[in-house]
Amino acid sequence: MAFVSSGYNPDKPMENRISDIGPRKYDEFYPEVIKNNKGKWLYHDILEPGILVHVAESGDKIYTIRCGGARLMSTSLINEICDIADKHCDGHLRFTTRNNIEFMVDSEDKVKPLKEDLESRKFAGGSYKFPIGGTGAGITNIVHTQGWIHCHTPATDASGPVKAAMDVLFDDFKSMRLPAHLRVSLACCLNMCGAVHCSDIAILGYHRKPPLLDHEYLDKLCEIPLAIAACPTAAIKPSKVEFKGQEVKSVAVKDDRCMFCGNCYTMCPSMPLADKEGDGIVIMAGGKVSNRISAPKFSKVVVAFLPNEAPRWPQTTTVIKNMVDAYASNANKYERLGEWAERIGWERFFDICELDFTHHLIDDFRDPAYYTWRQTTNFKF
Amino acid sequence: MEQAEAAEMVVEALRKKLKSKSKFYFNDLSKILGMKPRAAKKYVNKMVEDGVLEYWSSGSTSMYGIPGTGKQAAAEHED
Amino acid sequence: MAKHDTPLLDQLESGPWPSFVSDLKQEAEKRAKNEAGHELQIPVDVVDDLLGILELSFKHGKTHWKHGGIVGVFGYGGGVIGRYCDQPELFPGVAHFHTMRIAQPGAKFYTSDYLRQLTDIWDRRGSGITNMHGSTGDIIFIGTTTPQLEEIYYEISHNMNQDLGGSGSNLRTPADCIGQARCEYACYDTQDLCYNLTMEYQDELHRPAFPYKFKFKFDGCPNGCVAAIARSDMSFIGTWKDDIRIDDEAVKAYVGGEFAPNGGAHADGDWGAFDIQKEIIALCPTGCMKYEDGKLEIDNRECTRCMHCINAMPRALRIGKETGCSILCGAKAPILDGAQMGSLVVPFVEVNADDDYQAIKDVIEPLWDWWMEEGKNRERLGETMKRLGFNALLEATGIAPVPQHVQEPRSNPYIFWKEEEVEGGWTRDIDEFRKDHQR
Repeated sequence: MAFVSSGYNPDKPMENRISDIGPRKYDEFYPEVIKNNKGKWLYHDILEPGILVHVAESGDKIYTIRCGGARLMSTSLINEICDIADKHCDGHLRFTTRNNIEFMVDSEDKVKPLKEDLESRKFAGGSYKFPIGGTGAGITNIVHTQGWIHCHTPATDASGPVKAAMDVLFDDFKSMRLPAHLRVSLACCLNMCGAVHCSDIAILGYHRKPPLLDHEYLDKLCEIPLAIAACPTAAIKPSKVEFKGQEVKSVAVKDDRCMFCGNCYTMCPSMPLADKEGDGIVIMAGGKVSNRISAPKFSKVVVAFLPNEAPRWPQTTTVIKNMVDAYASNANKYERLGEWAERIGWERFFDICELDFTHHLIDDFRDPAYYTWRQTTNFKF
Repeated sequence: MEQAEAAEMVVEALRKKLKSKSKFYFNDLSKILGMKPRAAKKYVNKMVEDGVLEYWSSGSTSMYGIPGTGKQAAAEHED
Repeated sequence: MAKHDTPLLDQLESGPWPSFVSDLKQEAEKRAKNEAGHELQIPVDVVDDLLGILELSFKHGKTHWKHGGIVGVFGYGGGVIGRYCDQPELFPGVAHFHTMRIAQPGAKFYTSDYLRQLTDIWDRRGSGITNMHGSTGDIIFIGTTTPQLEEIYYEISHNMNQDLGGSGSNLRTPADCIGQARCEYACYDTQDLCYNLTMEYQDELHRPAFPYKFKFKFDGCPNGCVAAIARSDMSFIGTWKDDIRIDDEAVKAYVGGEFAPNGGAHADGDWGAFDIQKEIIALCPTGCMKYEDGKLEIDNRECTRCMHCINAMPRALRIGKETGCSILCGAKAPILDGAQMGSLVVPFVEVNADDDYQAIKDVIEPLWDWWMEEGKNRERLGETMKRLGFNALLEATGIAPVPQHVQEPRSNPYIFWKEEEVEGGWTRDIDEFRKDHQR
């Protein structure tokens, strides 16, 4: 493969350089009916799971078909999405915040052929390419992070557990039987670059072993002050270590202060912390971001640890499925999972969801812990 | 302050600390220059453009250093 | 024929949900065939090796990636994340495998022409694997080599009028909800405000000078579809000041069962007939609504705009006309001291495109000055606020304290009075004191 220049001259990087131009302007990409009715929408209806109609003051309508998608996506699949958009939607489409793909058409007669086209497309392995759903009181796509496909500090995979969980939750993606919508998110380590801390159900990767120390190479590959400064709990200090009869500069980790974040590994490749037995999944529940009826809430830890069981994480998906089913049959209409748990009390939540309560679930991390203990005699047996 | 003077101040201060570390936060630079951060930024941007300084990133945090210094570049086999 | 056996990953090809494994496999085949006749600039078997290394991670229960310090293209301190694999001999195709962040357009509307230009570049110069989209909102190109970074940037900037997104201690690529483009709840034009601020602060986005990352997110209403209140250092959430607009006839239609509540969102549940007393009046968190003699009334002064009644009866109720946004500051994920929601800093501000959103920029810039000066390294705005106190933020931004700022007033009286707040100041004469008090 011969190198093909784009026109960039490495000797003169500033020559003809274009910078600070930002993203393309949003209105270049609006479908015509959006351009004409922006800011003048009257109401919407969900015609069936995954299919919405929005009606404007002008009487114009836009029909949206929402499809789930793996956010890890090849250019082949993106090109196929483009083909569909060209065929049915004058070349327009959009993605949602939760990695769904939305195809929009401007009249009802275009909905059926588009729907049939989308439902007919499957991968060679048999899964749907464009399952329709993810609207209303159901479960939409799981937002997630990179995991083992590309991250250096994950405690679990992302795409794998998400595929496994969505297969298990698929009926609720395709229907709207729940009391309210339910958002599932996954972050593959506690740094949460996909912020899962306000989700109805969060799947969180967690390490449980402090970093290994590669004393032989540590001082050669890393700047020790940076590794020390990277630690959020100040658990790392410089140390001199005997290695093969020689004294070498290295670090020492105060293991009981380590919160397993992997920030030291980011700064210093000689401090890896991944471990097959140590790493796994924390399940959190009851968060939300909407201000509807009650204020936004953080998710709470309901299962302290589940092992990584590639490729299908059966314990994780079973816990989630049981929680969804318990919520579906017990909560009131419009009640989010966290609102339900608060109404019945968390002690009852653990009962109904058949989850064990262990000491790990009582907060002992810094100031906010106190506010989570019970300071009343009102509780349920 | 002239750009050249600012660059000299920064390089001298960073070189002094090279023995222990090669990467510095933006705040360290504005302190060296004795300026408010937004004022210092104009000089620092130019130093990067002139090749006096280079960026380093952990992905979530960014740092600055003198080009070619530090240990990680060798570990990445990029040079 | 696949380059590596992937027995574990193969088990993720079955089941109804779209299989990323099947997708990766089709991409590996496409590259091997190279029917487009591209002069591929990175190894042809890059996707095979990506499958191979992922299979190894599934087997080992551990990642095989290392972080690299590479940051971006020349003059940029963000937009690229360095990645190297720790088994380069086994998987040479992904030995150097950096991420590029491409700034996404508002609300992620696209045309097929635009996306095909992107995929063409990424097929030639990268792995052909993307995230649509990353957590912050960017289009993510996963996997290319160092020499290709400048080439890709040159092509997207010259041929597509397209820039990179943010990473590191920068302003991160701002993100918005669909807003007025297709939503009747949107209280302001999220796309336009997002675009305006993104363009205004390009230098902050590309050249790191903050203590840590900084995120803007724009939600058109309190439903919060982009999770601004939970995820952004500064969130702009649409709201209104006047009355919810009521269409009495449409209310009757909901009560009579002509319209399905909540836009039909509960169609598959066994919830019985719509009951306005139970589902709307009783659930209103402020109790400011009543439905008597076939007429709905709202005491708007007592309404906190939670959106429940509007969500539940979208054809009957509409947001008010005097719209703007609330600004909340300091949200972040739990690391380190625990998660924080955004705290209300500006209860209401007009979102005014005519003066280039000056009122909003007048909040942003003093806030940045304060955080850049006072914030410790790797401290998010919310942590600086917590460490120095909410009053320090109000002082820095010149915003007057109002009861809306707090959930409740403080329950301790330990007020650190300043000298200038106390009549007569703190300098006193001991001899004067002794005139009335013996030793």
